[in-house]
Amino acid sequence: MHDYSDLKRILLEVLLIVALGVVIGLSSNARLLYRVWTGQGAGPATPATTTTETAIPEPVMLDQARELIRTKQAVIIDARIRELYLDGHLPGAISLPLEEADTGIGELAAGTGPDRPLLVYCNGYGCPDSFDLAKRLLESGWKRVMVFEGGFPEWHDAGLPVVRGDKP
Amino acid sequence: MRPLHLLYHGCRLVLGAVFLYAGVVKGLDVTGFAGQVAAYRLLPYGGNYLVAATLPYIEIIAGVLLLSNRRVRPAALLCGLMTLVFIAALLSAWYRGLDISCGCFDPEADTSIGEALLRDVGLLILAHFSFHLRNRVLRERQAT
Repeated sequence: MHDYSDLKRILLEVLLIVALGVVIGLSSNARLLYRVWTGQGAGPATPATTTTETAIPEPVMLDQARELIRTKQAVIIDARIRELYLDGHLPGAISLPLEEADTGIGELAAGTGPDRPLLVYCNGYGCPDSFDLAKRLLESGWKRVMVFEGGFPEWHDAGLPVVRGDKP
Repeated sequence: MRPLHLLYHGCRLVLGAVFLYAGVVKGLDVTGFAGQVAAYRLLPYGGNYLVAATLPYIEIIAGVLLLSNRRVRPAALLCGLMTLVFIAALLSAWYRGLDISCGCFDPEADTSIGEALLRDVGLLILAHFSFHLRNRVLRERQAT
């Protein structure tokens, strides 16, 4: 009772629509995709000529986050709530929940100079806390603040070691 | 206008409008949409951006075709196939207990996935009628 006589043509047209969409999508987002591909993150469309006034958090991927943790080049900061930190965090990460930023930033400043790079993460894509905290850290005077967008979920899913409890 | 025609045009117009709207909204914020795709944790880092860059345009084209009553069958089939993919992704997120609405805490993740699933089933029904009624409507119009 249903008419499938021209199914072949229909499928071909489906493929054509998809191909057209892909071509338009790729070409209109070429710049963004290039940045993603070359590992620059999806950050600002304009290349960063970072002065302290216009500084924005720098997105990093899993590999870069791993390297920063391994070489201890950056101070690793967990922006999630305290309970989640105790449940498991990235090796070496200190807890600085966004809602306790006022006191936390003060304590951090006491032991960490403004030239030391910082790497902030929270609960992965869709979690804005790491970006918000990173912006506040930039405002507080740190020169280089990075955000690991994949956060704890990506780290955990990659099978990388996780530290439980209140020690970094 | 006969009820059958009304049903066909209603389904096609609503389906087209939904996909056009969804495509435009996502196409305007590709980075944000990539983050939402990434929250499903199904694709690698670059894959999320590839989907986010292309899917909105496929949705826009399908939506415009449905609204303009041209190439309705391929467009409806494509909408149905995309909806099936969305349902599969939602179910897998549900199964893995992901909080895809935010990822920070855990506010009513289940209801938002449930709502999205319900909406997708509705879209499947619209796509079904748009696809299958198209030729009947055309035939009846030619007969009169």
